[in-house]
Amino acid sequence: MKQGTGLGVYAVIYLVFLYAPILILPVFALNDSQVVAFPLKGFTTRWFGEMWADANLRSALLRSLVIAFSTATIATILGLFAARASVRYRFPGKPAAMGLIMLPMVLPDIVVAMALLIVLLSLSVPLSMLTIIMGHVLLCMPFAVAILTSAFQSLDRSLEEAALDLGESRAATFRLIILPLVMPGIIASFLICFTISIDEFVLANFLGSGKPVLSVYIFGQFRFPAKVPSMLALGTLLVLFSIILLGIAEYFRRRGVAKAGGKDSGGFL
Amino acid sequence: MTFSADRPTMIEFKDVHKYYGDYHALRGINGTIKAGEFFSLLGPSGCGKTTLLRTIAGFEDISSGVVMIDGKDMAGVPANVRPTNMVFQSYAIFPHMSVAENVGFGLRRDPRSKAEKAQAVAEALEMVGLKGYGNRAAHALSGGQRQRVALARALILKPKVLLLDEPLSALDKKMREHMQVELIKLQRQVGITFILVTHDQEEALVMSDRIAVMFEGEIAQLADPETLYRRPATRKVADFIGTMNFIPAEILSESGDKVEVEAKGLGRATLDISQAPARTGETPVVGLRPETLTLLYDGQPAAERETEGVIDEVIYFGDMTYYDVYLGGTDVEVRLSMRNVPGRPVLEVGAKVRVAWSPQALVLFR
Repeated sequence: MKQGTGLGVYAVIYLVFLYAPILILPVFALNDSQVVAFPLKGFTTRWFGEMWADANLRSALLRSLVIAFSTATIATILGLFAARASVRYRFPGKPAAMGLIMLPMVLPDIVVAMALLIVLLSLSVPLSMLTIIMGHVLLCMPFAVAILTSAFQSLDRSLEEAALDLGESRAATFRLIILPLVMPGIIASFLICFTISIDEFVLANFLGSGKPVLSVYIFGQFRFPAKVPSMLALGTLLVLFSIILLGIAEYFRRRGVAKAGGKDSGGFL
Repeated sequence: MTFSADRPTMIEFKDVHKYYGDYHALRGINGTIKAGEFFSLLGPSGCGKTTLLRTIAGFEDISSGVVMIDGKDMAGVPANVRPTNMVFQSYAIFPHMSVAENVGFGLRRDPRSKAEKAQAVAEALEMVGLKGYGNRAAHALSGGQRQRVALARALILKPKVLLLDEPLSALDKKMREHMQVELIKLQRQVGITFILVTHDQEEALVMSDRIAVMFEGEIAQLADPETLYRRPATRKVADFIGTMNFIPAEILSESGDKVEVEAKGLGRATLDISQAPARTGETPVVGLRPETLTLLYDGQPAAERETEGVIDEVIYFGDMTYYDVYLGGTDVEVRLSMRNVPGRPVLEVGAKVRVAWSPQALVLFR
């Protein structure tokens, strides 16, 4: 019993250290003072207004959304191919290929960023949103493949054979049977890749041109004390946005597993 | 048995081989399946029966040989244009569709009007006893209902051959026995060739016109259930189908259509050549089914032959009693089954008994 209490206290302290800093964001975003310090002065929403009035911030946000959308689309489509191949087919070099796809999950981002930057510069590829998208796809692929593999694994192979057996072509079988049944996985993969891309900093900073994306812009603004509260307001919105996206992704992942009659084998939430 | 040998051939295998890498899964399959026949592929797991079924459906390419359906060579013919439909072991009901959408799936390319197709779906559902279930969600059905949907979905296309891959193995015993009878009735009703894959010898005997018993990628015997049971071609087949006693024997002479043997504990017997299938090079034994042996009560004469014995074990089943009996002065033990009828008490272990047997019930494996 005593031991249990000790562990409980430890768990609470652990969670406080993990999440309390995030709670600082909304608290100071709504605090009527430029100085980020206690005691709080009063309630205001003007930092949200100020944030939105910043044209540079809006264009940085737009760039980030374009990058995140492109990254999520490309990573999910490539992930679909990789996951299908990994679940359904045997081919030489498969473990190596799958291992290399999953590798960026454990590689330090900074290493990937440096390596890509050196290669791009030596090939004299101009840095742009495109190069960031390339980097982000690399980073998101392991997540897309992991989610989609689980979607394909819970798909009974005889469903495909049944559709063929009933006279449908391979293309129609994919469209009518496979796609609808893995769709929850596709949506989950898209949303998670989108979330990863939109707040990624290291690659976006290394591989970007002079026009910053949102994360890089936020970091830059922290040099100006007057800008800090509106950045906290932005941060607050991003936290809310991420939670909603992840929630939707997990909902679709679970629904997919249940629909295909499989057992839930873990997830992100 | 409704099978008649003069029916036209529906499926023909000519020296079919299948390799998975180094693994030789099918080792020279030959045989024919007749139109309108209820045919079973029976064998233990890993014997190649499902692989053979899948070569008919077109899900497996064969390494060499020929598979013909209704006179046409199926080489290079993909699954979606073969005149076969399959009921899968998992039933493969599309979980995101309703029952009616599942059953009507194969009609997507059918030029008939929507109303006509709906009518066909309703009829198919009625045929399998699921009238009015069309709007149910497929994933909410019970195991037995799923199987009926799978049957309706396959039969609505009026295939020449219906393939059934262990369709009853996921059902409980009561349901399984019920569905066996339903499947037989359904097959007689539609007249389509049914090919059933099963590892359950009883199921195969109950349902089939003919059975191919498979071991290790080969057909060991292809025959009707009665022949298979009474005249198994090898000791292995005899052992797989029902129960059989094997008694060491010596072949005394073989001339013309008669074989004379000396079976340990039974004595000499003259067998017809039909009771002695082709040699396989085994140590000679004679086989006897338990129900062909009878315990005689005092004063009852044997119809043909009798031998003395001592009861070693008594297994009571209610309607039947199984006795394990040592044959007179030997270490040969046979199992025999007796119906429990009034006036015949169940005997006890150690009792001295007389066992009646008939030379015609013997099968010689050599």
